[in-house]
Amino acid sequence: MTEHSSRTTPPSHRGLRGFLRDNGLGLFFTVSFLLALFGQAIAGHADFNNQLATDGLQQISFGEYLTTSDFAVDVSENWQSEYLQFFLYVGVTVWLLQRGSPESKEMHKGGTESDEEQMVGPYAKDSSPKWAKAGGWRRAVYSNSLLLFMGTVFLLSWLVQSITGVAAHNEQRLRQLQAPLSWADYLGSADFWNRTLQNWQSELLAVASMAVLSIYLRQRGSPESKPVGAAHGATGVEG
Amino acid sequence: MAGRACGVAVCLLLAVGGVGGCATPAERRDDVRDAAAAFQAALGAEAYDRVCAVLAPGTVEELEGSAGSPCEEALRAQSPVPGGAVRRTDVYGNQARAVLSTDTLFLSRFASGWKVVAADCEPRPQEPYECRIKGG
Repeated sequence: MTEHSSRTTPPSHRGLRGFLRDNGLGLFFTVSFLLALFGQAIAGHADFNNQLATDGLQQISFGEYLTTSDFAVDVSENWQSEYLQFFLYVGVTVWLLQRGSPESKEMHKGGTESDEEQMVGPYAKDSSPKWAKAGGWRRAVYSNSLLLFMGTVFLLSWLVQSITGVAAHNEQRLRQLQAPLSWADYLGSADFWNRTLQNWQSELLAVASMAVLSIYLRQRGSPESKPVGAAHGATGVEG
Repeated sequence: MAGRACGVAVCLLLAVGGVGGCATPAERRDDVRDAAAAFQAALGAEAYDRVCAVLAPGTVEELEGSAGSPCEEALRAQSPVPGGAVRRTDVYGNQARAVLSTDTLFLSRFASGWKVVAADCEPRPQEPYECRIKGG
């Protein structure tokens, strides 16, 4: 990911096979995401109804469960942490380096780099995106667009987690004959921070593991790994 | 509610209002208010058959089990006092609280409408309400 190149990928085969070959990575993860979300909904529905049955209350249909704050908070608490992970990863790796890691730039490249290295403005190529060739706010926005998108989705997901979280938490409190909390009180509650931090810690561990373990361990053929024969000290080299 | 043409995105927005369904928050609060008012009216008239009809099945079961008598007789022996006008309702998903002038009710939504899960409740600091009528 740190190698600069103005080359474009070779033309694809035509037809469905060509489409699948060109988009295999995105399609695999999108389909896997949808299957996992469906599985979560099934398990979450069963768990929710078990709790209702325990309290002697009316159980709900699968369709109704999909509209509950209980399902929404379980989804959004994971989304916010994933987008936070990539927001931090994209942003922090501009400045912080890790010697020997393929996830890091080379040790002398810390920072936002020169316009020439980034192929913007007068250094843009014919194939460069239009806003990379432009000046002013367009280039500034496009130069940070990945970070801005990740950060925006993180904040929105976290906001949704807080809103659906207070609704789900209050529904549970009412079942336990307790008074509901306000949104402001919920932001300081153990439930909100337990949901938030349990996701943050796992994401941060995963990133730290990837950044450090990839110094010493290899996966032949993976762009997330250095080539098998690369030295442990080789930084910014991808397979 | 099953099979309702309700997108997840729309209902996520409704969840902002603390509800888990596609009825508007105002409609659900009105339904809770009506159920609480019906419960209070029946209590005031000492029409215990109507009171029992508004209680949740689990609450009726607990009431009859602990008293060793049918719901109406158990209530007559307990003779709960009406709590007055509904001053405030809180609705989250299928659960609700109705705060009355001198009482608090907890309600839950069933296929037949909102039912009273607990009544004759007093708040306790940092603890659940203490309710003299409630489910097991």
